Parts: sequence; structure tokens; C-alpha cells
Amino acid sequence: MKRVGLVSLPIYTSMALLVSGAFLGITVAGDYTWVARAGGAAWVFGLSMIVLMPIVIPAVKKRMGA
Amino acid sequence: MTTKSLKKINLTISGMTCASCVVHVESALKGVPGVEGATVNLATGKAGVEYDPSVTAVRAMKDEVDAIGYGVVLDVVQFHVLGMMGSHCEEIIKKALADVPGVYRVVVSSSTESARIEYIRDLVTPAEIRGLIQGLGYAVAEKAEGQGALDREREAREREVRRQLVNMAIAWPLGILVMLGTFQPYWFLPSIVPSWLNNKVLLFFLTTPIVVGPGRQFFVNSWNGLRRGITDMNLLYATGIGAAYLIAVINTFWPQAGFGGREATFYEASALLTAFIVLGRYLEAVTRGRTSEAIRRLMKLQPKRARVFRDGQEMEVTAEEVQVGDLVLVRPGESIPVDGVVEEGYSSVDQSMVTGESIPVEKKAGDEVIGGTMNKTGAFKFRATRVGSETALAQIIKLVEEAQLSRAPIQALADKVAGHFILGVHALALAVFLFWFFLGYSQWFTPESRLMLTPYTLAEMGVFGFALLVSMTVLIISCPCAVGLATPAAIMAGTGKAAEHGILFKGGDAVEATSKVRFVIFDKTGTLTRGEPSVTDVLALGSTEEEVLRLAACAERGSEHPLGEAIVREAQARSLRLDEPQEFNAVPGHGIEARVNGTQVVLGNRRLMEQRGVSLDGVLSQVERLEEDGKTVMMVAATGRLVGLVAVADTLKETSAQAVKSLQRMGIKVAMITGDNRRTANAIARKLGIDRVLAEVLPEDKAIEVKKLQAEGYKVAMVGDGINDAPALAQADAGIAIGSGTDVAKETGHVILIKDDLMDVIAAVQVSRRTMRLVRENLAWAFGYNTLAIPLGAGLIYPFFAQVVSPELAALLMAVSSLSVTLNTQRMRGYVPPIRRAGRRREAHAGEQALQQAGRRTA
Repeated sequence: MKRVGLVSLPIYTSMALLVSGAFLGITVAGDYTWVARAGGAAWVFGLSMIVLMPIVIPAVKKRMGA
Repeated sequence: MTTKSLKKINLTISGMTCASCVVHVESALKGVPGVEGATVNLATGKAGVEYDPSVTAVRAMKDEVDAIGYGVVLDVVQFHVLGMMGSHCEEIIKKALADVPGVYRVVVSSSTESARIEYIRDLVTPAEIRGLIQGLGYAVAEKAEGQGALDREREAREREVRRQLVNMAIAWPLGILVMLGTFQPYWFLPSIVPSWLNNKVLLFFLTTPIVVGPGRQFFVNSWNGLRRGITDMNLLYATGIGAAYLIAVINTFWPQAGFGGREATFYEASALLTAFIVLGRYLEAVTRGRTSEAIRRLMKLQPKRARVFRDGQEMEVTAEEVQVGDLVLVRPGESIPVDGVVEEGYSSVDQSMVTGESIPVEKKAGDEVIGGTMNKTGAFKFRATRVGSETALAQIIKLVEEAQLSRAPIQALADKVAGHFILGVHALALAVFLFWFFLGYSQWFTPESRLMLTPYTLAEMGVFGFALLVSMTVLIISCPCAVGLATPAAIMAGTGKAAEHGILFKGGDAVEATSKVRFVIFDKTGTLTRGEPSVTDVLALGSTEEEVLRLAACAERGSEHPLGEAIVREAQARSLRLDEPQEFNAVPGHGIEARVNGTQVVLGNRRLMEQRGVSLDGVLSQVERLEEDGKTVMMVAATGRLVGLVAVADTLKETSAQAVKSLQRMGIKVAMITGDNRRTANAIARKLGIDRVLAEVLPEDKAIEVKKLQAEGYKVAMVGDGINDAPALAQADAGIAIGSGTDVAKETGHVILIKDDLMDVIAAVQVSRRTMRLVRENLAWAFGYNTLAIPLGAGLIYPFFAQVVSPELAALLMAVSSLSVTLNTQRMRGYVPPIRRAGRRREAHAGEQALQQAGRRTA
């Protein structure tokens, strides 16, 4: 279980970072304050993590045969 | 290849509050190596686990469930242990018990001479634990305060209720203060609320204890789940409360940060959100306890003490200590502790609590008594035949518990939706956030924007604050608590109610299948009929009926044929004097010959009479008439002359015709299936008003007949003997085993009727239909709420009215939704199947008439 957690962690974190990075990228093109950009990116990152964790962890678990 | 021997246990889980908790606990249990299957029921708070005992133990399951923030409720027994000589003896007992499956924790103290054992009652009983300690050479006595599973369960529920009460005591007063403080500048509030209460720093100090106190459980539980890849309701609450609180804190201490400034400190959002969620949890804990009332009532029937005779001495022991073969004494007004057979004495016993029979049943030597029923008038002694988990009551409780654990097919969809809902909701919240951030705000935002039903304007709200607010509201408003509770609560109430009437559904699927039945097939022998032939007609030609019957019975005395036995029984019932026959001779397939008091008697069918040269002139038309009615006619000849006829038939049960008629009135088609010849079958069917007869069907072909009807598109119920008709019962959509009496465990079929009363078939259909109506109503309440609330929360009406739902209003709506489901389920409490209501009215009427007649006689 612990091993599954360790393997999954970088996967879902990097995917969430990617999503929030994309969000940040789009906001840079628009007329937004930095607070809105940073706050928005943080909220997007949080929600992405929540959405991705239950998808990635079981998938990794299945793959590892745990 | 090795075959696994799997074990099944029911664990009581504490701390579950919603459908996703079910998924949560199920996933955790299934994740334990060796666990093959797990089914969790929110309404009962139980988990049915199938596991390989050679791979895992209850300990591992409990640890895993504990680790994700829930608990496994254990039974506890305490013993006085005498003879321990210090810590060495403590270790011996601990080690001996540690290997016993089902024992979780053992605390032994030689100084207080006590042992406290936490165990799972499905795996080990206190009597076994006690026996094991005694086997080690210690004297053991159970402490009086030892509590049963029922008390444990109640304790766990009460603990949860108390916990949420404490949470409410913190959240509500502070929450109301925060709300008054936040809204102080609006409406009439400035005149009654001091302005200092609107101080943002003060509001921060008032809100923080709510978030870190009552709100803490949501953060801890969601984190425990999340790190195992499981999302649950707690996560919705945690993100909602957390985000609202965080924005308020930022706006209080860093107002220039761009989150709407000091006017957008929604402390009341996080405070009232917590308060409403805690209120919802409190109400759920209270009402969930009430829905399992039926099973609790059954459990309460289990008597605690018994009076047994051992070594010629009468002694009082705990009911658990009664052993098979013990002679047990029951006095008037006492409960019968275990199942057994009466040896001495006479009494009437109220069995209504187990069988649903409203009238007390007379018990004399040789009669069976059921543990848990109430002795009314006399004292008697009985020999214990089934004890502990083998008693009828224990079997019924187990069956009802298992039924309540299982899922109805309609629930599978609801669970699937609820299970994936949380993930979907977070994805939706993300989409809603992106929509309002990039598109919605710039398109529709106006400074006149308001939170629904509040004086708040959102004029200073920036794009991030606004998108976040709507996204957060979606999280709160989408909570599918009610969806998770809708079906199991109704199934639990329905199966419990049915059990009160002696109808045992083996699962939610059985309830659903029975509710859909459109065709009922009755097995004839033993179901529609009594299953044992009896004399229906005696015709005398010259002499008296009694003389004809006496002659026939004397001749048949030595016979073991069922027809012969029926004749002897009838003669005995009429108190006729029977003589021993001489020269008894059976003529296989035809009848018998015997000499009775010097008279040569021939008893048998037409062919035997013809063979013996007996003239049948003048009676043939009567013989045919009786045979047309499905009766077997035996001719009685004495010294070569026909003296009479005796007709024997399997008679109908009292309620058969009424049951068939009631079903037909309900729009259900009725058929009869039998191995008998068509003429006999048609005769019985005619009497009952059944127009579809499946005659001359071998027992093994009955299932094929059921299949044929199913192929015609009918949902078929088969009513029969649970043991002989097993294949047909299994093939039917609803297999109803009737009249099983107390040996519930042996029965196959999806529904078991304890009493031998066909009216219970109608009661079963009625209860199941009512239950499924309740399920549909509950699902409508739950899904209806989500269907309406989610678009509202996502800001669908904002472009038209410039109003958004506040997070606290979302929480209130969510609590109301759960409450509506649980209150709707409570309606089942007073339900009595209509057929039973009619029966009670008839009984009451008959009782009144009897009283009036008695009164007239006295006068």
C-alpha cells in the first residue's frame, strides 16, 4: 500500500501541476490580477489533485498487482 | 488445485454517514489480502465480509477500517477469573485466547481477578471463550455487567449522537453569533446587534473554534480517505468549509489581496456550513437508529436467564449456558430461553413475536416450543433441542440482518452513482470554476450581485472570489447523502416490518422480485392442501357410517399405507372401538383383505372388488361423482357383499381458496403445479378457482414449468415446500418457501414464511410492494434534490437574477434532503399489510361475537 502511494504521488502531482500550469498560462494572456492568477491556479491544482488521486492510485495499484 | 474455504461475518461499522462512506469502507475491506468480498449497508451500519481465514483475520480488517477513520464495533464480555497466580497466568490466558478466531483484544488482570475480552460474536461465543479459560484450569464466572451485541450497537450509536450533540453545542451558538456579526450592518440588525460584533478579527476568533472543533472530523476523514485514493462526502465538506474559511481569513488580514476585501469575509459561510452539516449528521444518527428498530425488537426477545435442572437440582443460568439436552423449566409469564420439545406440563404460548400469529398456541408434551416466545398460563418443562446461534430466533435475526445487508438491484445503480458522485462533483466544481473565471464573470457579473436570501452584495467580488464561491457552492450542494440512504433505509424498514409478521425476505433483491410478481404458482401437496390424506366421505349401504368406517379401520390397522392410516385416524377421531385384524393381506396397488372378528373384509378399488366377485350395482354413479371431485374411493365389502364406500382425499388448507381469490383480485395470475393425475388436480383447482393447472409434473420438472412461464414474460413466484421444491423455488423470480416453522436455516427460496398460512403470500407481496414504493419515493426525494440543486448551485439562474446560492443555504438544503428521506422511511413503522388488517378485523369481530354469546349465556 505504501509503495503504491509512493509510486502514485509523482504521477498525480505532476498531472495536477500540468493542469494548473495550463490555467496559469491561459490567464497570463488575459487581463487578470496576479492574486486571481495565483489563487485560481492553487484552486485548480487542489481540485485536480482531488480528481486525479482516486483515478491514479487504483490504476497504479492494479498495474502493480497490489 | 487448492480450494479456499471462505468464511462470512457481519461487522458493525461505526462512523459511516453517507453513500461514499459505504464505498470507502468497502474499498478498505476489499483491500485487505484474503478478503474475497465485502458489502456494506449504510442504514444498518453493517459490513458483510467474505474472507479466507487462512490468509487474514478480523484484526487486519478492523485495523484497516480504523485507519480510514471508521470503527468496527466489537462485543465485550467480562469474566471473573479465579485461580490466577500473577502475570504468568495472565500471559497464559492471553496467549490461549489470542489464537481464537474472532477474539480481538484480551485484557487480563490477576489483581482484580478479571478478564475483559473484545470479540466478534459471529465467530466466537462467550460460552466458548469461557470454556477455553476453564480448560486452562481456572474457575470462571460471567460478570453481571457483560453486555450483548445489542447494547454495544446502541452504545456506539449513542456515542455518535452524543459526539454530534457536542459538535452542535459548539457550532450552533458560535455560528449564530458569527451570522449576527456578519449581517450586523443590514436589515433591522443595527438596532439590536452591537457594531463591535461585526469586527472581522472577532469573527475570525469566533469562527476558528468551529472549523478546528466540529469541522475537524471532515478534514481528518477526507485526508485519511484521499491518501488511499478514496474520495468521500467529507472531502466535499472539507473543501467547502476550508475554502470559505481561508478566503475570509485572507480578506480579514490581507484585505488588499484581491479576494473581495473586508466586505467579503464569509465567516458565516464556513461557520453555518459546519453547523448544518453537523445537524445533518446528528439527525441521521438518530433516525438511522430508529430504522433498525425491528431487528432490535427481535434481538430484545432473546431471554437472558434460564432455569435448568442439572444433577437433579434446579438452577438459574444465563440463556447462553443452556446446552442441548438440558431440561428447562418455564413458569407462567416467563420467556422461553431456547428451542425445545415439551416433556411435561401444559400451557399456552404467545408466539406472535416470532411467527406473527396473534392467538396464543397451546403446548403439551411432545410439542415444539420456540426460544424467545412468551409462556402465558401454565408451567412446563421442556428438553432443549437448539441453543445459541441454532435457535429459531437466532436464525431469524441472522437472516433478517443478512437481508438488510444485501442490496436490491435498484440500489446497485444508486450506489454506483453515489460512489462515483464525489469525483464527478469535484470535476464539475473545477469545470464550473473555469467557466465562471474565464467566461461567466466577464459576461454576466454585475455589482448588484447578491447571495440568495441574504442581504449580501457581491459588488467588490473579483473574478477569482466569484468563481471560487460558485465552485464551492457546487461542492456543498451536490452532496449525495440522501441518495446513499434512500434504498437501504427503505429495504431495512420493509424487511424488518415483514419479519414482525413472520415473513423473512432473504435480501433486498427478494423484496424487489416479490414486488414485481405477476404470476404465482402454488405447489399442490402440502401447500394448497394439508399434504396428508383424510377421510372426506363415508357411505353406508344398509348399515351405519360408523360400522362401515369401523370395519375398514379394523382391517387397515396393520397397514402402513397413507390411505389406510387416514381411515384409522378418522375412526380414532370418532372414538370407534377398533379390533385387531386376523389374516391381514395386502394386495399391492389394489387394496387389502383381512378377517375382522370372523368376518372376511375386502377393502380396495373397483378392480379388487371385481376380482373378488363383489357386485357394485347401484354405487358406480356415486363412485364416479366422488372421483370427479378428486377423491380416492375405497369400497368396503364384508363376506362378499358391498357394505359401503370410504372416500379419502388430501384436503385443502383453510385459507387456500381465500388466498387464491385475494391474489387474483390483486391482478396476479395463479397456477397450480402437481405430480398428481389431471383429474384429481382439476378437481382441486376447480374448488380453488384456479384455471391454470400444471398436472402430472415430476418434481424435477417443476423448474422447467416455471421457466416456461418466465419465457411468456411473467415475473413468477413459486410457492412450495422449501426442501422438496428447491429447484423450482430457485428458478422462480421469487421462491416462497411456506410453513418452514422454526427451522429457517434449512430453507431454500428467496422468501421464507414461518407460518403455514397462505395468506402470508399476499402479505409478502403487499409488504414488498409497499417497500419498493418507499424506495422509489426516497430516491425521488434524493435525486430530485440533486437534480434541482446542482444547476442552481452552479449559477444557472445568475445571468437572469444576479443571485447565487450561498454555501450555507446549500448546506441547509442538503440537510433537509437527508431528513426528508429518513422521515419518509419512518412512515413504514406503523404499516400493517392490508390483508393482515382485514384478518385482525375478522378476529376482533369473532372475539366480540364470542363475548356477546358468552354474555347472553351468563344472562
